[in-house]
Amino acid sequence: MMTCKEVLESLSSYLDEDVKQEVAVEMHKHIGMCSDCRAEFDTLTMTIKLYRHTENHEMPAACHDRLVKVLELERFKTKRGPAKT
Amino acid sequence: MATPASDEELVQRAQQDDDRAFGNLVERYETKVYSLAMKMLRNPEDAEDVLQDTFLRAYRGIKSFQGNSTFSTWIYRITANSALMRLRKKQLPTVSIDDADERETPINIADWSPGPVEQLLTKETQKAMDEAIEALPPEFKQVFILRDVEELSNAEVAEILDLSVAAVKSRLHRARLKVRNRLALYFSDAKSSRAMGANQ
Repeated sequence: MMTCKEVLESLSSYLDEDVKQEVAVEMHKHIGMCSDCRAEFDTLTMTIKLYRHTENHEMPAACHDRLVKVLELERFKTKRGPAKT
Repeated sequence: MATPASDEELVQRAQQDDDRAFGNLVERYETKVYSLAMKMLRNPEDAEDVLQDTFLRAYRGIKSFQGNSTFSTWIYRITANSALMRLRKKQLPTVSIDDADERETPINIADWSPGPVEQLLTKETQKAMDEAIEALPPEFKQVFILRDVEELSNAEVAEILDLSVAAVKSRLHRARLKVRNRLALYFSDAKSSRAMGANQ
């Protein structure tokens, strides 16, 4: 039987389904019986779900225009070669 | 309709001074780069700086890009490094990433997890989530955002950050606990405020 400490140490990998089958079975059993570890499991699961629900930040159109100008300037400098002094 | 050129084809053409091909790569990846930078830096000006820095570095380095990783991994790596440099410059003195404060038991841990995500995801919660990420040490922040926000695999994150998969897993686990503990505090405070309001 796994201890709470062992369960907590592997919780993240368990959530990612990245533990061996026999460990997953043990953890599933432990979490079913231990309310503290179940609370750890539930809140960690919810934390990940919340972040995976966040929307991407829209890039303003002006950002694209400025990026294009910066790259054009770089092309111009590269093709012209180093400035003569 | 013609099939769009693959990243590999565009990279090859860009390496032969085809500026349009490089422009196509920019258009394909600029929103992803900007979004990742915004998530890491939470500031539009800083995110734009990272966007420009990333594509300038990519433009200057495209000829030496060997194709050992995909273009997508390469561009993410440049973005993550550029954002990390800015984070380190701005970072206030903080706990070392080796400090294991994430082991502390959160308050009222079981009170907020039931119910649908959509119900919990208010503007205030979003703010608390941003602050929880903000409080992470930069190296944890990178891993957490790439893995749990961008939803890349452990192997992809390891390749982008030049870490072992074991190191990614370790940082991810600790980052998740730190973030979860912060959110637990937020939900606990929000619950207390609601209870106080109801009693008045």
